[in-house]
Amino acid sequence: MTPTQTAYKDLIFQSEGYFGAYGGCFVPEVLLPGLQEIAAAFDEAKTDPSFLDQFHDTLHTFSGRPTAFTPLPRLTEEIGGARLFLKNEGLNHTGAHKITHCIGQILLAQRLGKRRIIAETGAGQHGYATAAVCARFGLDCTVYMGKKDYERQRPNVYWMELLGAKVVAVEDGTQTLNDAVIAAFKDWVEHPESYYLLGSAVGPHPYPAMNTFFQKVVGEEIRSQCLEAAGRLPDYCVACVGGGSNAMGMFYDFLDDEDVRLIGVEAGGRGTRPGEHAAKVLHGQLGIFEGYHSYFLQDGDGNIASTHSVSAGLDYCGVSPILAYLADEGRVQFETASDEAALAAVQRLARVEGLIPALESAHAFAHAFELAATLPKDQVVVINASGRGEKDLFITMRHFQEESLVAYAQHLLK
Amino acid sequence: MTHTKKGAGALMGHLVLGYPTLQESIRTAEKYVEGGVEILELQIPFSHPTADGPVITAACREAVEQQRVSMQDCLEALQTIRQRFPDQEIMVMSYVNRVYAFGPRRFAEAMERLNIRHLIIPDLPVDDAQALAITRHANIKLVPVLAANATDARLEKLLAAGFDFYYLMSDFKITGSTFSLHPRLQKVIGQIKQTAPEARVGIGFGISTPEQVQMVYAAADVAIIGSALIRAQEAGGLETYLSSVGSA
Repeated sequence: MTPTQTAYKDLIFQSEGYFGAYGGCFVPEVLLPGLQEIAAAFDEAKTDPSFLDQFHDTLHTFSGRPTAFTPLPRLTEEIGGARLFLKNEGLNHTGAHKITHCIGQILLAQRLGKRRIIAETGAGQHGYATAAVCARFGLDCTVYMGKKDYERQRPNVYWMELLGAKVVAVEDGTQTLNDAVIAAFKDWVEHPESYYLLGSAVGPHPYPAMNTFFQKVVGEEIRSQCLEAAGRLPDYCVACVGGGSNAMGMFYDFLDDEDVRLIGVEAGGRGTRPGEHAAKVLHGQLGIFEGYHSYFLQDGDGNIASTHSVSAGLDYCGVSPILAYLADEGRVQFETASDEAALAAVQRLARVEGLIPALESAHAFAHAFELAATLPKDQVVVINASGRGEKDLFITMRHFQEESLVAYAQHLLK
Repeated sequence: MTHTKKGAGALMGHLVLGYPTLQESIRTAEKYVEGGVEILELQIPFSHPTADGPVITAACREAVEQQRVSMQDCLEALQTIRQRFPDQEIMVMSYVNRVYAFGPRRFAEAMERLNIRHLIIPDLPVDDAQALAITRHANIKLVPVLAANATDARLEKLLAAGFDFYYLMSDFKITGSTFSLHPRLQKVIGQIKQTAPEARVGIGFGISTPEQVQMVYAAADVAIIGSALIRAQEAGGLETYLSSVGSA
């Protein structure tokens, strides 16, 4: 590997929250002391060997890391192009990559002596993981969830409540992730002594860099697993992008390997008109919202636009300022996959390889299948299966077997 | 410009431009001034007002989604209000993305032409580079919105930067909550007054009754009312309400 001219890896953790022009800390003054406290604690912890030992030990014993790196020989054969592998983050406890930054942040909250955790959630994966680590470490937990997400991801609501968390359905706005983030920030204004455990590589400093730091273990594992399984580094790493935590987790370790191409796949939804998709980098404009400067879906007058995706985890108006910067630099390439393509990818992966990805991750697969067909057979494409698909039972079942779902619902109600 | 008499409290009244309609919000501003409001705080509505409570959030949503009020509409409304009241002190409040989308410099110049000297942008730290992009090109000051947890170091930094109006949150609340005055605010106010005796201090968030206005006047220069005015207007009792808090 030849080193690249830009050392992106160093830049991300030395930037004080600015990535090129993006990032920053755009919050009301009342939240600044809390954010500065977290940023200072993170700065200390990230080089503290005892903290890092505890982090990696908890990842191993509580979440089951390292996660599997799985060749997809039958799909490779069927598509007839590049060799396909997946990183199975869905094997983590609670079913997705989210628990990795939750473990990192809960250890930080504990270090700060916090007793109460606030979190937002979209698909429910971050809330579910937050509820699990709060139970594990004995902290009080309140999770905000848009009412639309609350209803479409009901299984995760149940798991959070079983784990002792209070789940609040937010009825403001479009009732999705965006509104949950705002409700969580308002809770933090009213309870500044609480710890806000924000769940993606978005938001004000230090969250984008901090969650990337905790998630980068994904790419580190892929590096060694891919060398072992394929005898080379990936030629392409493909991840879905909602806020960007799983993508940054996968991409970070490869940022300075210029031969490893990095592709983020946004939610193409059901069309390219405003409100039909959630493709921020490809269709958004620069703005400042929810604490950070990045690309946002908005109207021409600075109001935030509504978004759509079949997957709740991608149904969000903004994108990580780190990814916005890397997109402008040309280091990460962006594509979209539609609702239909994602659903089809779930079915194809299930039938051909016996794996059921989350609808979010299915966007990455949908694009990777198209990409692989265009590549020679010696190339290696790795896809981040950021979550497993069981949480989507009622969405995918309605799509694939609506009559069975209705019959089952009627049976339950008898 | 009618500046507040020192020692006697001044009332600052907030409203959302475009709520319930653009024309009615202009008439409401007139009623405020006629009812004794000394400082108008006019909010340019944003789709997602992250620091506001349910009453103002609903008003902003109505203005943006139903009334479809654009930045241009707001500037024209401000122009109408300014022509009607050439000497009235007006502060404009909004969120950073609306200003950013319009262009910070262009926005600052528009404010200066309207003889508006103060901007309240709660999600923009007043010393950020984006804040400087607004204030650099115009005779305009941002208003720091502080709470009782403002650290001594932060206050010293802001005081050294020479802000002349400080907006304090009454407590750890969102707008429109029940009222209480956080015990540490007195210390924050003392620090401001000691370093910048000419600077005015306003307190807002949750103020609704004449008694609460009195409590604020005892501690600070300006009482800021928002949600309670919207509720009074919705209940059809705006004039009565204004006369009750105006005589406090």
